Parts: sequence; C-alpha cells; structure tokens
Amino acid sequence: MIKDITLGQYFPGASPIHKLDPRTKVLLTILYIVSLFVIRGGWGYFVSAAMMFVIIALSRIPFGVVLRGIKPILFVLLFTATFNLIYGTGTPIFEDVSWLGWLTWNGLRNAVFMAVRIILLVIGTSFMTYTTSPIMLTGAMESLLAPLKWVKVPVHELSMMMTIALRFIPTLVDETDKIISAQKARGADFETGNIFRRAKALVPILIPLIISAFRRAEELADAMECRCYHGGNDRTRYKVFHFAARDALAALVMTGQLALIIFLNVVT
Amino acid sequence: MNILETHNLSFSYPGGEGREPVPVLKNIDLAVEEGSFVAVLGHNGCGKSTLAKLFNGILKPTGGTVTALGMDTADENNLLDIRKNVGMVFQNPDNQLIATVVEEDVAFALENLSVPHDEMERRVTEALEIVDMLPFRKHAPHRLSGGQKQRVAVAGILAMKPKCIILDEPTAMLDPKGRREVMRTIRRLNREEGVTVLLITHYMDEAVQADRILVMNEGKILLDGTPREVFANVGLLQSVALDVPQSADLMFALRQYDIKVPISILDDMECTQVLIDLLEGKFGDYSDRKFDA
Ligand SMILES: Nc1ncnc2c1ncn2[C@@H]1O[C@H](COP(=O)(O)OP(=O)(O)OP(=O)(O)O)[C@@H](O)[C@H]1O
Ligand SMILES: [Mg+2]
Repeated sequence: MIKDITLGQYFPGASPIHKLDPRTKVLLTILYIVSLFVIRGGWGYFVSAAMMFVIIALSRIPFGVVLRGIKPILFVLLFTATFNLIYGTGTPIFEDVSWLGWLTWNGLRNAVFMAVRIILLVIGTSFMTYTTSPIMLTGAMESLLAPLKWVKVPVHELSMMMTIALRFIPTLVDETDKIISAQKARGADFETGNIFRRAKALVPILIPLIISAFRRAEELADAMECRCYHGGNDRTRYKVFHFAARDALAALVMTGQLALIIFLNVVT
Repeated sequence: MNILETHNLSFSYPGGEGREPVPVLKNIDLAVEEGSFVAVLGHNGCGKSTLAKLFNGILKPTGGTVTALGMDTADENNLLDIRKNVGMVFQNPDNQLIATVVEEDVAFALENLSVPHDEMERRVTEALEIVDMLPFRKHAPHRLSGGQKQRVAVAGILAMKPKCIILDEPTAMLDPKGRREVMRTIRRLNREEGVTVLLITHYMDEAVQADRILVMNEGKILLDGTPREVFANVGLLQSVALDVPQSADLMFALRQYDIKVPISILDDMECTQVLIDLLEGKFGDYSDRKFDA
C-alpha cells in the first residue's frame, strides 16, 4: 500500500511538452515566472493564462489533476485575496451603502489579479515536475548549475546524492512494508491509541530501517569504488541532453509571450 | 601468467575502542592463473569476502602484499587500473545498482573512466548482450527479478572489460531460476570471453563447475586443487562444516565399507555408472559381505 505514493508527481507521457529537453523546461519555467511578475494589466494576465492553457492542452495531463494541484494553496489564496480586498483604496463599489465602503474597485481588481498570479505561478512550476521525471530534472540541474563548480559548489556530488536517493526510495519503501508486516506478525499495533502511543509504535519500524539503510550505504560505497568511482572530476556522461528544434520553438514562444506582456504594459 | 597474487598476506580489521584487532587472514600465499575459473569455499566468517576485497584494493593488507596484474594494491596510484581490470560483484544486487535505468547503471563505470560517449554506447550494448539483458536496457532496476538485477550488476562490471571478475556469493539471494541464469552467465564469461573468474560460493554444485577450488578455514587456505582432488577429502571438509556434492558423499560412504569405488566422483552420470558397475560386480564380488550399519 505504501508503494502507491507517487514521487514528485511525475505523470509519464510522450507529449511534446514531455519531450522537451529538461534544461529547456527549467529555463522556460523561470522565464514564465519572471513574465508573471512583469504583468501590470488585465490583458497581460489574459496572455499568461492563455499560454498556460495551451501548455496544459499540449501536455495531455487531465485538467482535474492540474486543479488538484491548487488545492494545497487554497488557504494562502483566500488569505491574500481577502487582504487585497480589504486594503483596497479608491472609489467604493457601492457608493451609497456605507458599511460596504471598504469594498473598492481597486481592491477587487488587486484581489483577482493576485489570485490569478498565484494560481498561474503554482501551475507553472508544478508543470515542470508533472512532465519531467525526477532523474531528468536532476540531470538538468547538474548541467545548468555546472558553472557553479568554479565557485566550489559541489554540483556533481549533490546530483549524485539526488540520483542515489531516487534510486533507493522504492527499495526502502519495499523494505518498510516488509518491516511493518514483520512487526505486525509479532503483534505490533500501529492503528490504535493516542498520537504518542502511535508515534512510539513507529520506533520498531524506524530503527531496523535506519540500520539497514546504513548497511546498504556501506555496500553501495564499496560497489561504487569497485566501479572506479572517484568523484566528479573528468567524468563523462552517458545521458547527454540535446537541444532540438522543438526546444528552440518553445523558447521562441515563451520569449514572444514575455515580449507581448511588456508591449501590453507599455500601450495600456 | 598469474593475474592475482598474494605473498604472505595477513589482514585484520581494526578492533573497536580498547579492543585488539582481530586477525581475519593469516599468511596466505596464493596465485590465480589468468583465464582460470576458481571457486572459493569456506564456512561463514572464515574471511572469504575479506580476501575478495583485498584483491582490488577496497581493503589494504595489514601484512604481506597483494598484487593484481603485477600491480601492488597498496599503491594508491594503481587503484584505478586495478579496479578497471579486477571487477567485483556482490551478494545483494539491490545495493550495487546506482542508476534508475538499467543502461545508465551499466554505463556508470564507463562514466567514471571518462570513456567517450559513442564508445560508451557500444560497450553498454555489448555488456548487456553478454548477460542476455539487452531487451531490458530502458527498464528500472527495482522492477527486475533478483537474477536479472544480478546480471545487470555483472554487465556493469563487464562494461569495463576487466581481465578478472570476482563474485562474492552472487547467487546467495536468488531463487533456483535466478541462480541458473547467473551461473550460465559466469561460465560463458570464463569460457567464451576468457575472463578470469573467482567465485565465492556456499553451493557445492556451483563450485564443481570451477577448474580449481580453494577451501578456506579460519583465515587460511585449507585445501587447494581441482574439484576432484578437493572433494576427495570428504572427512576433512565435513570437519570444517562444509558439505560435499551428494555423489562424492555417497562414494565416501561406500568406501567406509571397504568398497573400492573411485575416490571422487562429482557428476551424477558418473556416479550412476559407478553404481551400475558396482552392481554388476566390476569392482569385485561383495555378495558375501554384510552391510550392517
Ligand atoms: N567491517 C568489519 N569490521 C570488523 N570485522 C569484520 C568486518 N567485516 C568482517 N569482519 C569479520 O571478519 C571475519 C571474516 O569476515 P568475512 O566477511 O570475510 O567472512 P566470509 O567468509 O565472507 O563470511 P560469509 O560466508 O558469511 O560471507 C568475520 O569474523 C567478521 O566478523
Ligand atoms: Mg562473505
């Protein structure tokens, strides 16, 4: 049952969005976020939202999934919108109803725009993880952050750690399942009692799990040394990313979007 | 030529605080001929894995020397060359696969050795082909069976094109089918690819497939010879808590009754033939003997 947890929320697929070079996706996601913060008027938001719709449609990820992604931030969304509404200035919406005097056109406008901005921000960033496997993302990060090696950031080591973590999560999840069954067979009870009792019941799961993880780590280190691992210097890569025509097209569209938004800012 | 050599090799793990180091290997002199298939037997804790890790410099001798392809394992500068040529496969396949895709895992050693990309691709394909795992190259390792995982691990070593491969109980965690697959791969490596194989195992049926068997006990080499020679010492083997192949055991039992059967018979067909001959009276007439226990 634990096995069903999805990791990083990747939805495998073969859509044009999935096929983009992961580096392109990381960079264009950043560009999209920047464009969201450049927007000043309603038309800009319209362009951004339209762009998001196109991306969602192209990726063939069900709309429901995308909406579910917003659920965790619903509270933040309401909170910011409410504050924008309350602290609005300018002409009230209902000029003759005195107790609604705080409700201004300006406040309403800000509230809606802020909500749209947050929603697009969340969808935009989660779309990167929806359409890119964690291991591809790790590779993209290593490749994009490579220049940081000059300032002694251990880029290779970090990405190796990520890779190993991703590789071992299913193994450790399997093992946790086994330990839980083994402890249940010995009469352990994980389901009843108050929170402290239940937390205490987790100890007999965590201790064997940690010990075994250390043993695995030791064996893995030996196995890596046996395969001539000696750090990240002068390593070559098996999986190399190639920018393709579609990446250029995607970059063009995204830059075009930003240009359009800036243009709209200027003319309105 | 000897691919692996030890001279007066001793090893002890550092003892914990205040405790003496425990000697694990004691004055071992050993040479492994290039191209041979050597099996290492011995009961739990006699130092087999330790010996294996000394051969490619994962551990350093605390006394004496170990040389692989003529290079001293104690010299750090030799390590990469040694490890490239003396590959090692461990017992637990889960703990030696590093990447999340089979082909990337096989390429791991090549990445470390800075092999150019095109050649990497070729060597990965070749290695996966030898272990019969080519159709699985895009799969995730954690979804493979134990035998398949272990063959991927072997491919990961083969990609380095080592001259020698040391396998530390590679079949211990596998079911009979997985064991057969892995043993078939090992035999093929030795016969067809000319790779020197050092196989540590607890299974006698695997050991008899080797050209030479080393039996270890208490950190020393107890017996060293062809399977026939080694399994002729049934009494000695049993005294160090080791099994012998069933046929050797049967011959041993018969000899306890002064029946003059050949000293060591290893495979079942040979054994059957001896029994037929025995019943036909070829080894003399036993009809008047009493077979009481
Ligand atoms: N890292 C270590 N630190 C201290 N002692 C160790 C360590 N590894 C092994 N030993 C000890 O060294 C001895 C030999 O261990 P080794 O693993 O070489 O045995 P083995 O022959 O491979 O046994 P098995 O058949 O169980 O694999 C054992 O007594 C063991 O307890
Ligand atoms: Mg061992």
